[in-house]
This record gives sequence, C-alpha cells and structure tokens, in this order.
Amino acid sequence: MRELIHDIRNQLAVAVATVEAFRDGMLEPTPERLDDVLSALAAVETLLAKLPRDSDGTAPPM
Amino acid sequence: MEGRTVLLVDDEPMLVDVLERYLRDDGFTVVRAADGPGAVEAFERSRPDLVILDINLPGFPGTDVLRKIRAIRDVPIIMLTGRADEVDRVVGLELGADDYVAKPFSPREVVARVKSVLRRAERPQAAAAHHERRVGAIVIDTVAHEVHVDGKPVTLTPTQFKILDVLAQHVGQTLTRDQLLERVSADGDVYDRTLDRHIANLRARVEPDPSNPRHIVTVFGVGYKMVAPT
Repeated sequence: MRELIHDIRNQLAVAVATVEAFRDGMLEPTPERLDDVLSALAAVETLLAKLPRDSDGTAPPM
Repeated sequence: MEGRTVLLVDDEPMLVDVLERYLRDDGFTVVRAADGPGAVEAFERSRPDLVILDINLPGFPGTDVLRKIRAIRDVPIIMLTGRADEVDRVVGLELGADDYVAKPFSPREVVARVKSVLRRAERPQAAAAHHERRVGAIVIDTVAHEVHVDGKPVTLTPTQFKILDVLAQHVGQTLTRDQLLERVSADGDVYDRTLDRHIANLRARVEPDPSNPRHIVTVFGVGYKMVAPT
C-alpha cells in the first residue's frame, strides 16, 4: 500500500515536472516527451486500480 | 550560484532530465546518478556542493546513500520523497537532511530550495548543526536572533548581536580588532573607534557584572575573546 502510493507519487512527479518544463520553455514538447507524460499518467491509472478498496467500493484517501 | 556542482540522484530519468535542465539554466553544473552505488561513486568523483537525493533508489536506499556521503564529507543534502510519512525521519535527527521536497514537485521549487540551502550552508554562523550557541550563562539563537542570559531575554542591536555571535563562534580564541571588524561589519558600518563602545554596550547587557566581564574578555593590545566562565 505504501509502496503503491509512493509509485503513484513518482509517476505524478514525472508528469507534473515535465509539463511544467514545457510551460517554462525548459524542454521542447516533442512527441516522444509527450508520450513519456502520457505513459506516466497511464501508470498512475494502473496503480490506482491496484489500490485496495474499502467495503463501500471507494478508494482509501492518499 | 554560478559554477556550483549539484549531484542529482533519482532512478527516474525523465525527472532527472527536467531538474538538470532547470539547474543548468541557473548556472549550476549537474552530475547525475541513478542508483545508490552510482551516487556514492559520483559523489567521490565530482565533489559536488550539494546533493539532491531520492529516498527510494535501486541498489541501496537513499537513506544509506545519505549516511555514506556524510561519512565522506559534510555537504548539504536535499531529499526527494514520495511518502509523507518519511518526512520526519528524513529531516529529523535520524538522518539530518538539510531539506526535503515531496513528490510531485515543481522544478522551480526544487531550484529555489537548492539556492536557499546553499546560502544557509555558506553562511558560517548558521552552518552549525544547532541554531543555538551556549557560552556560560549566554544562549544565542542564531535563527531567531534572540539572546538569553540566565534564561532571561536580552535585547541587542544588530551590531551587538553580530559581535556576540562572532565571538561565540570562536570561544577561547582571541580575535584581533581587525578580525572582529572584518567579520562584523560586512557593510562597513562599524569602525575601529566604535568597536570598543559596542563591546561596552554589549557587556552592559550580557555580563552579570559589566565592570568585571567574565564572558567577553579584553586581551590587552590584541583584541577580545569569549570564554565560558567556570
């Protein structure tokens, strides 16, 4: 559970930092880099699906 | 911050790319490592001024890297962490990192932390692990800029505070008048002829008996020194 949250934060960190670098003109938003951001977000989705659910079906708070 | 070297350790290449780009833009030289052993090797090779270290690394954990690095040389370390529950341990007494940044983070924020930690580390009076200096009955808090004598707060002028702090950094060591002036008067606002008056005023506030100073002692013909009365 802790490791899952850690991995989610890590992938979010990749997406957030990269998009911010695009915005600040630090990195060129090439198709490859945009794919990297999408991969990170897809990984977040996959990881979220692995989070244990409470009995009422909601995910526990992060 | 031109010319400073930052060792950047994270196993996520994209994050390292982004941070490297921001740090280079600010004039830093960046050395990268992606795992624990690589980090220690790069640290010894590149002698960085600061280390940014992910706590979760392949090879061995970032916490081990921190200990190994600190055993080689004392250098400011900023930890990157993906877990809120790690923070206390990271910046607390156990590991003693200088700062931490939680993931996800803004790269600009990381650069700002790097600069602030470097500034702090390069100010000698704040570089000590503790913010407090104790000399006899006098306790100096270098962060809050407060002085207590026998537990009671004492109000000092900024110049008096600086003189006291400089003397307290060199307990038992005589500082010449020139050395004192040079360290106290960064902006040239203290002159040789006023130093004695500042010292007298300072003694009036921190010495239990100012006419018989026991903390701030005159070394005749040389300067002053601070001693811890026994």
